[in-house]
Amino acid sequence: MAKDEEFKHEVLRLAGEEVLTCIQCGTCSASCPTANLMNPSIRKLIKLCLEGKKEEALHNDTLGLCTSCLLCTVRCPRGIRPKAVVSALKDLAEREGVPGVDLAYEQLFLKQIRDFGRISELPLTGEFLLVFPRGMVQSMQMGLELAPKGKISLEMEKVRGRDEVKRIVEELGR
Amino acid sequence: MKLAYYPGCVSRSTGKDMDASTRAVCKALGIELVELEDWNCCGATHVSNELVATGLAARNMAQTDLEIMTSCSICYSNLRSAVLNLEDLETRKKVNAVLDKKYSGARVRHALDVILECLAGNDERIAVPLKELKVAPYYGCLLTRPGGIYSPEFPTILEKLIKTLQAEPIDFRLKTFCCGGPIFMSQEEAANDIAFRILSEARKAGAEVIVTVCPLCQLMLDAKQKALEQKHGTKIEIPVLYVTQLAGIALGLGPDELGLNMNAVSPMAMMEKVYERMTE
Repeated sequence: MAKDEEFKHEVLRLAGEEVLTCIQCGTCSASCPTANLMNPSIRKLIKLCLEGKKEEALHNDTLGLCTSCLLCTVRCPRGIRPKAVVSALKDLAEREGVPGVDLAYEQLFLKQIRDFGRISELPLTGEFLLVFPRGMVQSMQMGLELAPKGKISLEMEKVRGRDEVKRIVEELGR
Repeated sequence: MKLAYYPGCVSRSTGKDMDASTRAVCKALGIELVELEDWNCCGATHVSNELVATGLAARNMAQTDLEIMTSCSICYSNLRSAVLNLEDLETRKKVNAVLDKKYSGARVRHALDVILECLAGNDERIAVPLKELKVAPYYGCLLTRPGGIYSPEFPTILEKLIKTLQAEPIDFRLKTFCCGGPIFMSQEEAANDIAFRILSEARKAGAEVIVTVCPLCQLMLDAKQKALEQKHGTKIEIPVLYVTQLAGIALGLGPDELGLNMNAVSPMAMMEKVYERMTE
């Protein structure tokens, strides 16, 4: 199979065959709360996938701007889940090691789940700030709000069934 | 009523008030909560592989035969999405192949729905009617999405609860608009702009309090409110309560039980108004 066809099929496998029925109406883009910052738009991103344009579909700021609000998904007149397309592309980008802060955050998040089964917000934030020091000001600001209220925990949360969780992440994530 | 309780990861840190108020309200309503024995993270909005996210949810749901209740809309949406995905037998087979306890179906409810059911037609439990309190019902995204239970764009359940507590839901245009929370770590500015838009709209609409059903919405609108006020040189000063905190106030529970001292924007001035109006 040609490379662009291969990419298209991988997206369809992850996000659903119905993506093929996209009529490029733009309802998804019009519904998106961060559409004004996106280039390519969600509509265009789906077109890129269907054209097999892997490079453009994986290397862009659009993926990191999706808030997972699912408004595109509940509105799509074709029953496509545009958010699932974004997730599929993020999944592929993470596997291919595409650089980016958004992907870095997701990877740290998933790693903490894989190793501990739960998210501990403070250690996760700490790890993220090592790769994204620019987030420090915001994190300090929030920390100053939350710490006096007792809403920051130093505990590292863990489940007992860590082997099982690890299997879920590693075996189902292939 | 006896329910399995899925607190979710934030219950241990930024959502401690959500957890405390959920437990207190359920106790007051005679609901017995059995915490899932070894619950794991639902993946929030950060697990891109759908099968992994489904597997994480399935592991939680396989731990009980009871109906599962959570107060977090993100957990709720993820469990519901997984229930839908697991209707596909191929998916269920793949997921069950890696689980110790196998998934065989589940029923998931949000605390909002449970509280409303318990309070319906049972007004004498409302010790502190929230008379004339103007409440902005803020749903955010994930209570109602994916669709199938509530209208994903024009839900009314929160307004129903607000009225049951004898408060006044305001007409809140942005009630199902995203708070920006899921991207606030890496896309600070984009997320802040969205959160500020929602807060400004609530101010304009005359809200005395915003009520949320999601800990991330609460974090964005409450913990960031002061920073957003400073950035935009304006005052918002609207407390942002979880639905469980608001219900708890009406049920006559105390600030400590409800974690009201943990809110960044203090709800105490609002509470005083509530008590004043009650005795008028």
